[in-house]
Amino acid sequence: MEIDRRTFLTLLGAAAMAPSGALASEEQLYLAARARGGRHEVAVLDARGADRLVLPIEDRGHSFAIDHGRRTAVAFARAPGRYAVAFDIAGKAVPQPLVAAEGRHFFGHGIFSPDGRLMFASENDYEAGKGVTGIYDVGKGFARLGEFDCGGIGPHDVVLMPDGKTACVANGGILTHPDYDKLKLNLDTMAPSLAYLDIASGDIVEQVSLPADLHKLSIRHLIVDASGAVWFGCQYEGDAGDRPPLVGRHRRGHEPELFAGPPDLLRRMDNYVGSVSVDTSGEIVATSSPLGGLVAFWDAATGRYLGEQSMADVCGVAPLKPGHVLATTGRGAVDDMSPSARAAILGEFATNPAWDNHLRLV
Amino acid sequence: MRGLWALVLLAAVLPASAEGVGRPVIDGFVEPSNAAFTRSTADLAASVEVLCDKPGNDTLSASRTAFATALDDWGHVSVLRFGPLAADSRFEKLFFWPDARGIGLKQVQGLLTSSDLDGISSGMAGKSAALQGFPALEFTLYGAGSDSLAAGDPWRCSVASAIASNIAAIAATVAQEWNAGSPFAASFAAPAEGREPYRTEAEVQGEIVKALATALQFIRSAELAPPLGEEPAKANGKRAPMWRSRLTAPLIVAQIDGVRQLLAAAGYERSLPEDSRYIASSIRFELDNAIRTLGQVEGPAEQAFGTEPDRGRFAFAELALHHASELVTRDLAAALGLTMGFNALDGD
Repeated sequence: MEIDRRTFLTLLGAAAMAPSGALASEEQLYLAARARGGRHEVAVLDARGADRLVLPIEDRGHSFAIDHGRRTAVAFARAPGRYAVAFDIAGKAVPQPLVAAEGRHFFGHGIFSPDGRLMFASENDYEAGKGVTGIYDVGKGFARLGEFDCGGIGPHDVVLMPDGKTACVANGGILTHPDYDKLKLNLDTMAPSLAYLDIASGDIVEQVSLPADLHKLSIRHLIVDASGAVWFGCQYEGDAGDRPPLVGRHRRGHEPELFAGPPDLLRRMDNYVGSVSVDTSGEIVATSSPLGGLVAFWDAATGRYLGEQSMADVCGVAPLKPGHVLATTGRGAVDDMSPSARAAILGEFATNPAWDNHLRLV
Repeated sequence: MRGLWALVLLAAVLPASAEGVGRPVIDGFVEPSNAAFTRSTADLAASVEVLCDKPGNDTLSASRTAFATALDDWGHVSVLRFGPLAADSRFEKLFFWPDARGIGLKQVQGLLTSSDLDGISSGMAGKSAALQGFPALEFTLYGAGSDSLAAGDPWRCSVASAIASNIAAIAATVAQEWNAGSPFAASFAAPAEGREPYRTEAEVQGEIVKALATALQFIRSAELAPPLGEEPAKANGKRAPMWRSRLTAPLIVAQIDGVRQLLAAAGYERSLPEDSRYIASSIRFELDNAIRTLGQVEGPAEQAFGTEPDRGRFAFAELALHHASELVTRDLAAALGLTMGFNALDGD
């Protein structure tokens, strides 16, 4: 992910010329990876879908670790990428490339500690065939301090819990090795889990799994709701005809709960949820299925299905306002969406960027 | 590998014929290849039983011949990595591959030194997938110490026999679940509302395109690229499947031939709009080239991947399959009205 410094600086100039107050810290800004005309980029955009900053990157990006307070982020390459780039969201600093440690690659997700001093990234120790959480010292140029064992294979999304001390890692359970592309090497023995790590010690303070008959239900994406419960979205690696629930909630100290929604929703989601979000209140959960071309909404308090919106190749979802999320598609569309309505912000145009899996609110 | 090439249905698909593509695919490819696989794996199991009863060079040789025949049939059937062959991890049980960390070898060596007769008396079905199929049986019949089978090695032969019987049982189950009258076959041959898993012709077309793409991807990423390495110095033929039995190239040829037969049975060279039919013949051209070139490989896999001219032959086949793969996922999918969504690749 080598950055074209000149292009970046050009864009920085453009960002600097934006109307004053455009990057005021109270404004809602979003981060997303995207492809445009065969090139890959990371974009900072506003709630109208307008670009505020664009970083060219060498290969396809995925998601971000975001330091909301200091407005710094790390963009990760898509697995099995070995590159990431740390950047200032307002474009006030030269971005800094990071390279994965020897024998590790990134899975595409990470978090910052609340004080902004540490960054944690989901990584693959592929020769050992186990997942780790890499630890980086932000103040020392993102020097890698070490890693925590995150208690499973294929850690994907990771979120910081409201206590500010615990990270929740989605151990997707799927073994991959960069020598074998994205082939899944352990479908017969998959054992996905949610692991809660004390970010100071690396201790796994709680770990939960789904029932044994759902061991092929890979837990991949996470969001924390208003009550502090973790919502997760899954993809299923078993028989296509099985159609297990793909959305669940975990409250610390309890068993995970799964929510199926109405008849036929699971068939339409085609065993794949690509991204999860909440609205700005944290009381409504949105789960996207790019295969099904839909976003399904859930009441965070009860798990009740609230409705859905169709949108071809939709995947990115992020909080927009109470009851609403911003949704992006691989075909360039951006929508304001709620359980009962959707309004196009940007339409599908071939010249629009193809928005990648995740849209994140800064 | 379900969903490796997840196709999003764009629009109404052009029907391959009034009857749809499922029926001719079943009649022209699925049933004959399943029948051959069921027969040859039963023969393999019987042959290993004879070997155990009457150890000798001739019975060992007969078992190895039966293994090669069954593996060839597996190569064809392996292209159908959806439905019955994907259910219950059957593909992995039959062919635990790629095995990046050598799990299968460790487990089968462990079993062979354990003499845990009780452990296999009820068969292999409950054991690790890595112990259940062709790679484990290959080590037992061809790996270090396998010549003892000719002199009489009851324990090793019991293990071989248990694995061979397990392979035959899985093959029979797959064939049965594809049989006419099964709900799966009914929905594949005549998709309709209320049927599972296929309700529309587009879903069946999508499954076939995915199967073609998945098989090509598997051959390249799991079987050819790892032993080739990025440069000759990094070649390692022992990362190829079936190097011990010297059946690497024959297996890959059988798989490519399976792709070719599935493509032919789908009838695209006749059913696509005339200006798109070149796609099917171009895919066939690439597959033919790969098969012909692999047929020229002379040395055993351990050396062949790192030594010219065999290395070039494997590399050429890999490139031809890459072209075939692009034609399938881009051109064939588009000609059928299918498109792959930017966000539809799972694993992210």
